[in-house]
Amino acid sequence: MKKQHAGQKQQKPLKPIGFRYSCNLNGSNTGLSHYILLDKKN
Amino acid sequence: MQAVYPQGGQVNVGCGPRFDLVDIGHPHYVAVVEADTAFWTLVPREQALDMVLGSDLPGEFAQRYERFQKEMQALRFGLTPSAVYFNPTERCNLNCPYCYLPEDMRRAGMDMAEADLFRALEILSEYFQETLPPDSVQPQVIFHGSEPMLRREVIFPAMEKYAHRFRFGIQTNATLLDDEALAFIRSREISLGISLDAHLPEINDRTRRTWGSKGVFGPVSQVLEKLAGYPNYSVMCTVTQANVAHLPEIVDFFHGHQVGVAMLNPVRCTQAGGRASKPDDAVLARHFIAALDRAGELYEQTGRRLVLANFANILIAITAPTARRLMCDISPCGGGRCFFAVAATGDLFPCSEFIGLPQFKGGNIFVDQIPAVLESPQFRRVSRRRVEDFAPCDSCVIRHFCGSPCPAEVYTTYGTMQAPAPYCDFYVEQVKYAFRIIADQRLEAYLWEGWNQGTEQIFGL
Repeated sequence: MKKQHAGQKQQKPLKPIGFRYSCNLNGSNTGLSHYILLDKKN
Repeated sequence: MQAVYPQGGQVNVGCGPRFDLVDIGHPHYVAVVEADTAFWTLVPREQALDMVLGSDLPGEFAQRYERFQKEMQALRFGLTPSAVYFNPTERCNLNCPYCYLPEDMRRAGMDMAEADLFRALEILSEYFQETLPPDSVQPQVIFHGSEPMLRREVIFPAMEKYAHRFRFGIQTNATLLDDEALAFIRSREISLGISLDAHLPEINDRTRRTWGSKGVFGPVSQVLEKLAGYPNYSVMCTVTQANVAHLPEIVDFFHGHQVGVAMLNPVRCTQAGGRASKPDDAVLARHFIAALDRAGELYEQTGRRLVLANFANILIAITAPTARRLMCDISPCGGGRCFFAVAATGDLFPCSEFIGLPQFKGGNIFVDQIPAVLESPQFRRVSRRRVEDFAPCDSCVIRHFCGSPCPAEVYTTYGTMQAPAPYCDFYVEQVKYAFRIIADQRLEAYLWEGWNQGTEQIFGL
């Protein structure tokens, strides 16, 4: 991915940005609370 | 009731989608958001009106609306518990002033007897075998506190015995992690979370100290050094008035100690000590964003990232809602529906955060059936709390990136759960920052490697 700081001049013309990913909810990503770690997923 | 969006419906009227514009503080982009489905697009400022009122974006949205809607429904209402916070003791060897557990409990509380702890794990194992789908990963048990390492002689054998039935974790103040304990944890790849609030003893020890007011920065920082290279640990830094101005330096310190994952969690306001320690929202946002900036710089300078997990989770909530790892920032939160807590008494609570609030006890693991406890009025107050049901969250565009956490602190702060997060303004700034990161295509600096592995792209412009 192209790295750029917020506010840095960008190339024109700008295009809309939109994406979304999805995964199945089989218990591997149901998550915890803020009090615990990411469990070898980092 | 489920809305129906016919293809080509007019925006913001009738059955058409509701698109809102959000100024994310970026020089070139604004966000268009459909709040119910957490759908978003970043559009160049000068094109925003045409994008919202034209036909392309509503058409793209309409084609995927049903999938987005089902996904959010499943995430918010279709999950089953897969984790347990397990307190093997009420006691703690530290007296941190902001703790969410009452002082009398931490000072002189009870331990769960060894036989009871094993019996509880057996009950939990049977429950998960009956309820989790066959293709799911193993359930998680996190020994949590108070200080679970005070019961090391019980929890270590328990983790040995049940290694094939649970994934285990320990959240600890790290003061009792000697070399033998660390070797055990490493050899069994146990997830470890340790608490450290600052990069310097004079700051850390204002909040992390013994009952005799002795700071613990020294021993905990030594543990941090010993953990270098262990891939399965994280550091939790609780952000209070005492350390809020130092968050960028704390990021430097963690990164310099090879920490891979840390959390900069604003102190929960559940107990009076937490409320007294709460940093001002605007001050917190300013320093937190400076810390995020610093983490990004360090990644670009070194190629090694420090994932700030509580922010990463917001970023994931936007880019891949169902892949989020932490379930505080969604409504209903994960309490009582993705996980629950077992107190040292065997009493069951929706989350550890509620253990000091007896009115939220839903039952007891040795007395009651877990499914019945999950449906108890005490649990349902938490697991049915929806941001749609109260103002101003009901009309807030980022309501599904925030979730108005946490019900425990909202309840003790305002006397009702039907109120916005005590850190409402801070969440707004976090979400805007996350959108700016997306606009600048810098996700890789803030998310863990392979964050989208196992996912499918269901929308893209």
